[in-house]
Amino acid sequence: MPQHQGARLVLSQGQAAAILLLPFLTIYAVFLVYPFFKGVWISLHDWNLMAVAFNPDAKAYVGLSNYERVMWGSNITWGAWASPAFQFIGLAGVVASAWLYRTGRAGKVTALAMGGAALLLFVLPGFHPGEGGRWYDRRFWPTVGNTILFVGLAVPGVTITAMLLAAALDGETRAKAVLRTLFFLSQVLSVTVVTLIWQIMFSPRQGLIANLTQLFGGSPIVWLTAEGFAMASIVIATIWWSLGIAMILFLAGIQDISKDLYEAGALDNATGAKAFWYITLPNLKRTITLVVVLQIILHFQVFGQSHLMTNGGPNDTTQVLVRYIYQTAFRDSELGRASAMAVFLFVIMGGFSILQFVLGREKDQ
Amino acid sequence: MNRSYYWLILGLSVPAFIWLVPTVWMVSLSFQPNELLARTTSSTALGLIPIPFTPDNYIALFRFGQVPMWFLNSLIVSVGMTLAVLAVSTTAGYALARLEFPLKTPIIILCLMGLMVPEQAVFIPLYTMFADWGWHNSHHALIMPRVAVPIGVFLMLQFFKAIPKDIEEAARIDGVGWLQIFWYVMLPLARPAMMTLAILTFLYAWNDYLWPLVSAQQREYFTITLGLASIQANFAQAEGLGRVMASGVVASLPVVVLFLIFQRYVVRAMTAGGTKG
Repeated sequence: MPQHQGARLVLSQGQAAAILLLPFLTIYAVFLVYPFFKGVWISLHDWNLMAVAFNPDAKAYVGLSNYERVMWGSNITWGAWASPAFQFIGLAGVVASAWLYRTGRAGKVTALAMGGAALLLFVLPGFHPGEGGRWYDRRFWPTVGNTILFVGLAVPGVTITAMLLAAALDGETRAKAVLRTLFFLSQVLSVTVVTLIWQIMFSPRQGLIANLTQLFGGSPIVWLTAEGFAMASIVIATIWWSLGIAMILFLAGIQDISKDLYEAGALDNATGAKAFWYITLPNLKRTITLVVVLQIILHFQVFGQSHLMTNGGPNDTTQVLVRYIYQTAFRDSELGRASAMAVFLFVIMGGFSILQFVLGREKDQ
Repeated sequence: MNRSYYWLILGLSVPAFIWLVPTVWMVSLSFQPNELLARTTSSTALGLIPIPFTPDNYIALFRFGQVPMWFLNSLIVSVGMTLAVLAVSTTAGYALARLEFPLKTPIIILCLMGLMVPEQAVFIPLYTMFADWGWHNSHHALIMPRVAVPIGVFLMLQFFKAIPKDIEEAARIDGVGWLQIFWYVMLPLARPAMMTLAILTFLYAWNDYLWPLVSAQQREYFTITLGLASIQANFAQAEGLGRVMASGVVASLPVVVLFLIFQRYVVRAMTAGGTKG
């Protein structure tokens, strides 16, 4: 066998694959797979960050009691009207998804996922402490509720605005390209820049919005510290920040719609808003579902807006799940409980990721 | 072009202008003197035009303070992470897309499952691991966790899968080894996909907030994104509004310039990152 190049030629496919895969798989195992299982392991321990840092044996196996301390309480009962607002929306969601499926407006997977989420929304808020009972952790479920509220406001806001903009900005002209760039621009900024801008925009003394209201003779609103407005403020900042990707996905979806449909519609006098309602919207169903699922995954992880703009306040009204995990772990040093919450977050996110994967698969076929 | 088209563009310019106002305001404030801003932020046209104008905030930024150092940290972390992600993703993506070997499907499924794990689900155990190793407050601590996220592998896998088989077969007949095919034939073809992945990673690294917040506790190891968060809490008293805004502009400059130059790639990268991970 010739020495000069033979040495490399004898590598079989399997050996070459091993060499090429080894760097990634090593890093993957050390920095993702192992930490994931370690996180589950920590959640089964009473684990104080400071104590364990000084003495590695200062942790104790406690089974599932962290989960119990976070999510459960004493004397918990279930009622159909314990939290009427959430439960009504949940019930309405179940009915709506059944109706959408029966009338053929939504596919099987979409209807099942929607129905399942709505059912959870009906069942979960029904749990409440009975007489003399209390939650072990008073802040956990309200925090989850705030996160869902944030998602429930930001996702429709982004989706509807992005869809209307995409419908208006679809086209090859220079002006439309410039406008698309403008609307996408804020998407590349970091969360700290976005919160910096909007903190001062909303400031009652220095803010642009306050200056505007005063110009028209109104008195400025204390956006970030007023209970009714704090959540609205972080939602507005979020919509401003994260419209771009949704808009691009809708543009791609609109371009997939056959131009013949619009020409046929034009013969029936369907142009402009009519064409949008009768042609664009029905053909965008799949894109809408994809964008909504994507946004849910993205916004469920909200942290920076709440951490930097409102500090979770006022009165915990903008406290969100990731910020609560962060504080429990790194301010209160309760790694065990924080990890239990992180596992809870993973389960929810994992569910939506699987849904996204299935939807993506459907699209490919 | 008909009249309704011009009405549409005109009508859309209003929301576009409103959309742009917050950014313009930040830039404008960064060019106004701090003493003035302490009194009023709406001296000319609600403060949207920087009159009176001064570049002092930027000069002060680069003379005192830690912004230049944070900027450099961000650059090191972002470039380092981009190179590392490119290296492991192209190699693994190629192997999974083009080579036949045992256990291939289980490995792909294992990697797919990694896409489900959000950063927030692993940042606590990663913190304890890095603390045990004495890794915190370093650049590699900020880089490594993201290199393990398999988005890049799947982006490259999809790209390599789409390349026709005969390119490889011709090289195989000439007796070229697999690694050489990867290096000399496949990588040059993969440039557009690598570009997309590089931009996706760079943007992520530059803008990431949660992990640097946990891992970098010493101010010398802050990234610009983290540093900006640390000064915005007490902006009015300590540094002056104009200077904080100037820091915000400096922190955004690289990503905005990247976006304006490589707009097509950035849009593709961000949608790919959004839909896959």
